[in-house]
Amino acid sequence: MSGPYVPEIAIDRNGNEHIVQGWQGDFYGGKLGFWLFMFTEVLMFGAMFMALAYYNTLHPQDFLDASASLNRLLGGINTVVLLISALTMGLGLLNMRVGKVKEAKQMIWATIILATLFLVIKGFEWRAEYNHGIFLMHDQLLPESSLALGQKLFFGLYFTMTGLHGFHIIIGIGLMIWLLKRINAQKVTPDHHILYWNIALYWDIVHLIWVFVFPYYYMIGAGGATGGH
Amino acid sequence: MDTNTIDYAKERSGYYKILVGLLLLTVVTFVQPHMFMTESTFAAQMIIAVIKGWLILMFYMHLKGEKLIIWMTGFSLFIVFTFFAIVIGVDVQKFQFKDESHITASVTATPEAGHTAAPVAH
Repeated sequence: MSGPYVPEIAIDRNGNEHIVQGWQGDFYGGKLGFWLFMFTEVLMFGAMFMALAYYNTLHPQDFLDASASLNRLLGGINTVVLLISALTMGLGLLNMRVGKVKEAKQMIWATIILATLFLVIKGFEWRAEYNHGIFLMHDQLLPESSLALGQKLFFGLYFTMTGLHGFHIIIGIGLMIWLLKRINAQKVTPDHHILYWNIALYWDIVHLIWVFVFPYYYMIGAGGATGGH
Repeated sequence: MDTNTIDYAKERSGYYKILVGLLLLTVVTFVQPHMFMTESTFAAQMIIAVIKGWLILMFYMHLKGEKLIIWMTGFSLFIVFTFFAIVIGVDVQKFQFKDESHITASVTATPEAGHTAAPVAH
């Protein structure tokens, strides 16, 4: 991705020149490779979901009680924020593909703002939970506290998974800022936009993971379990 | 680069249509525990999530028409879930340290021990 592609020349024993096949412009290969990377993300979060499901089978009522105590309003707002951010990222990519570079950059900025908003809301949520003594290695989640073991497991995985998801959001913001720099340097253009395509894919997988995280943590206890809103 | 001819207006309207669909499904997510399948909230929520996930994969992630990537993703997921199923379905079911394990001991030995306190809503 640094400057125009210059083909490599190989010379055989008879002194004949041959152009070496280059893959720098291989759009499909770049996309396929990124799908393989995203598969490793699914593996990581999939293993966590499996642990969650296993503990859920051991402590079903504790999980319902703990889920009912989470703030569904803030979780729901964050769901909508991520949803709109996926739209802005997609529209930005579309703008780039048709040559509307300025509009594409505006959409990236909109996505960055929405991603930051997501983190701020998540921060308020975690703060409220911390103030109630619920946080990793804190007060109610300590081994000696009277909170039910199933709820400790639920909240332990809740902070781990939403924390890891939040980390992905931070990485995504960093990638988008880098993408803006690459566009400004004209390294990402309407004719060469695989980087934009793959960062948009990354943002979609971050959204996709939240689509499953949200109902499992916030909604399973919404149907009348004790301790809810 | 992708060499497909781009119909800007059509693709743009497609993005908005999917947004509306996802927003409606998010509303369904919120009303479901009080409206339908109230005894199977978990299953209902996961079904809604799968539909949302399918929309995101097919349209926002442009999987529609990408046969090779769909097959690759599908096959990979099949392999992973097969192994997960073996681990969860067979290995965990026959977990030989249930009584010694901190996690499972309270379930197998004292099933009532876990319900002493509920967290307050925050």
